Amino acid sequence: MDEFQEILQDFLVESFELIEQLDQDLVELETRPDDLELLNRIFRVAHTVKGASSFLNFDVLTHLTHHMEDVLNRARHGELVISPDIMDVILESIDLMKALLNIIRDTSADGGVDVSACVSRLDRCVGGSGNIQTPVSQEAPKVEEEPEPEIEFVDTDDEIDYENMGADELEAEIERLLNQRQAEDKVKREAKKGSNNTSSSEQEDEFAEEDYEPVIKVPMTVTPVLKPAPTSSNLGDSEDARAAAPAKKAQTVEQTIRVDVKRLDHLMNLIGELVLAKNRLIKINDDVEERYEGEGFLEELNQVVSIVSLVTTDLQIAVMKTRMLPIGKVFNKFPRMIRDLSRELNKKIELELYGEETELDKSIVEEVGDPLVHIIRNSCDHGIEIPKIRAEQGKNETGTIKLKAYNEGNQIVIQIDDDGKGLDADMLKRKSLEKGLITQKESDNMSDKEAFTLIFKPGFSTAATVTNVSGRGVGMDVVKTNIEKLNGIIDIDSEVGVGTSMKLKIPLTLAIIQALLVGVQEEHYAIPLASVLETVRISKDEVYTVEGRSVMRLREDILPLVHIGDIFEVERILDSSEYAYVVVLGLGTSKLGLIVDTLVGQEEIVIKSLGEFLKGIEGIAGATIRGDGGVTLIVDVIAIMDMAKRVKVTALKDTTSDAAMSTREKTKASDYTVMIVDDSKTDRTIMRKALEPLGITLVEAGDGQEALSILKQGDYNFDAMLVDIEMPRMDGYSLAIEIKKYNRYKNLPLIAVTSRTGKSDRMRGVESGMVEYITKPYSADYLSSVVQRNVNFKSELLR
Amino acid sequence: MSDKLKQVISKQRKHEEDSLKRSDDIVQLVGFVIGDEEYAVPILAIQEIIKPFPWTRVPQVPKYVVGVFNMRGAVIPLIDLRLKFGLSPKKHNEETRFIVMRHGDDIAGFVIDRLTMAIRISKSKIGPAPETANGDDTAIDGVGKQEDRIITILKVNKLLERDF
Repeated sequence: MDEFQEILQDFLVESFELIEQLDQDLVELETRPDDLELLNRIFRVAHTVKGASSFLNFDVLTHLTHHMEDVLNRARHGELVISPDIMDVILESIDLMKALLNIIRDTSADGGVDVSACVSRLDRCVGGSGNIQTPVSQEAPKVEEEPEPEIEFVDTDDEIDYENMGADELEAEIERLLNQRQAEDKVKREAKKGSNNTSSSEQEDEFAEEDYEPVIKVPMTVTPVLKPAPTSSNLGDSEDARAAAPAKKAQTVEQTIRVDVKRLDHLMNLIGELVLAKNRLIKINDDVEERYEGEGFLEELNQVVSIVSLVTTDLQIAVMKTRMLPIGKVFNKFPRMIRDLSRELNKKIELELYGEETELDKSIVEEVGDPLVHIIRNSCDHGIEIPKIRAEQGKNETGTIKLKAYNEGNQIVIQIDDDGKGLDADMLKRKSLEKGLITQKESDNMSDKEAFTLIFKPGFSTAATVTNVSGRGVGMDVVKTNIEKLNGIIDIDSEVGVGTSMKLKIPLTLAIIQALLVGVQEEHYAIPLASVLETVRISKDEVYTVEGRSVMRLREDILPLVHIGDIFEVERILDSSEYAYVVVLGLGTSKLGLIVDTLVGQEEIVIKSLGEFLKGIEGIAGATIRGDGGVTLIVDVIAIMDMAKRVKVTALKDTTSDAAMSTREKTKASDYTVMIVDDSKTDRTIMRKALEPLGITLVEAGDGQEALSILKQGDYNFDAMLVDIEMPRMDGYSLAIEIKKYNRYKNLPLIAVTSRTGKSDRMRGVESGMVEYITKPYSADYLSSVVQRNVNFKSELLR
Repeated sequence: MSDKLKQVISKQRKHEEDSLKRSDDIVQLVGFVIGDEEYAVPILAIQEIIKPFPWTRVPQVPKYVVGVFNMRGAVIPLIDLRLKFGLSPKKHNEETRFIVMRHGDDIAGFVIDRLTMAIRISKSKIGPAPETANGDDTAIDGVGKQEDRIITILKVNKLLERDF
């Protein structure tokens, strides 16, 4: 059974690949009905599928493909001219074939599809016997007659293979095969005759396929030229095709291996880990460089790090490439679609494809198909006018839709141009107003370009009548959602009477992306760079409030603003500075300005899921691991755009929360808390000794970093800090600046205790926010009095 | 693998399991303290126990989901059991640990106040959850009785279940 499954899988993969090509070939065939090369190719597909399916006992499929093959064979002989009507039938049969293959894929058996109607129509094309209405069972005998020419043909095709054989060898081989076959046939015929006579018509139906098989072989025995034919029945066909294909293609076609997508995904995951490790390595390298400047081993380390990072990048690109598929895979179905649509709508439409070889990640290729179908349908239905109108307007009666794909930086652009009637911005606005999708005010302020985007609104349709093709007001909405899901952008341009051009800009891959890292308070977030249009620095007074929402003026446009802290409920611990940065996000056609505190930089990040437990958090698309091993959340731009509408107040206001500090009444000396920051243990002890008599609580820190983390923990409410200036890791000045960033500690008295006595040192101290400046050496009393003064020490508490 | 081999292996496994069961029905647990109470989870549900390290806050989740952290390349949610059990938050200290538990594909880290010990307890000494905490919703699997104390045994799958 496993073996069968394996063969079945091969068969399905092969068949679907063949069919994909088939659609395009057929449409091409219609324009060039006498292209023998094309006909042969199409014929071979039908033939191969027939052969393989009969081997696998898919009787219905075999039956159908057999009749298709018949028609195509006639055409190949020139006995039949492919008219549009015949084409319709052929295309219909191919649709049936696809349906059957899908059923086989799902259930491992064919059936459930009635092919008899199509088969009889196929037969009518062949102009064969008039008894078209006869049920399938009775067609069997006809089948037996028809195949003869067909087989001759296969043989001429395959003869080439045998030409290499010596004459004698050939004769011998023929002889052997013939004998073998004849013997088999005889047995089979004997058996069948018996059953046939007694069998009911249903049974006959079942036997039909098997039946014709031996009969076909009979003519072959007569014509020795056809020797390969014996093998070209059941088993033979697939073998033939396989044997012939490599032989012919080997020199021209690149060698390929089919790989399970799961393996590629796994590989991609591993590369992701590697990229993270690389980022980390680079960061460590930078740190080491700083610390051990000028040391000999640094150069070596540098070299290794750069090689690793180079190779990792290359490896990542290489693996990404293995996942790439040409977009032609999607494009292929459109010629057929356009053909059907133009016949259905009585329009003349031509499709031009460019850049089919452009490659995209497999997962994106799969997602991009549906949106394109909707857009093209829309172009056919609403864009291209009927021939009469086109002629009146002096346009070519045949409308053209151009489908282009090309790379642009890190993105791929799929452009759909039509030369139809174009979008009428005023009409779009009017319609949207009627349907209540926009307000009068919105409509008045809307630019043409914004008006074009109205077609993506759910529920919008400009078609006066709903047709089979479009106008239900669903399609374009789907386009927008799907493209946004891929972090893509849609750009529309249109001119009334000239045509419409739509550009879908989609990132190349999904797993590893370029991101802009932004900071808000002490948190970092990653924004997919594909959605970032630009960043601007603004001062607070550039932010205006309109109807309770913050906006800013960006060149000619008004940009809605939202603070990232409001969206992610970030606690405002740090004092926001005079300036803020606005990251202008663009998605599809809408824009939003996201206010952040800092811009950290651009980085390549690997998207990781937050897992089952945390999935579906609004506004968060996933997480990534940064060079320092920390986790950074990735912003879901689509969701943010939505959430921004709900966040009303997006102010850059200071939320001064220093009230908490001074509320506690001091009732005893130990309620006062002072931190001593000095890297020298001796100095700390001297200070401690000087202050201990007061009975206040003292906390020590060895350097700025430590002091800062003690502050952040918030275990103590400090009333003052004694800060040394000269310290490792973080000096007193930097510490003071950092501390002043916190709202809570804005008014915390910082007292510098230092041996630096220069005037400029004092100045720096003041600049960084120190209130007092004590120079070493100092007397214990002096220090004590300065501290008392600064903490407002109540003298009655003095012991 | 041939069928025969499979059979042999499965037979062996069965044998092992049987012998395990017969050898006293012992359950191995890891005990830890949250607030004033001692809890335990089956040792096999624990992937690792680590000292606290930095995590990243995640917005729009209940307070007890403190964030996510990076465990060798995987992003794992971190849940504070103190908060989940309705206790007041407490600063992490020397004894604070993250216990990473796994049940099937679900995985999360849990902040606990202090580890106690690995416990071997026979099944006969485990009683059902108290009446008041019964039902499908409870995270309590049972109550283990030791000589001098009582340990609440938690259901790992319940702990890992998203309830917001």
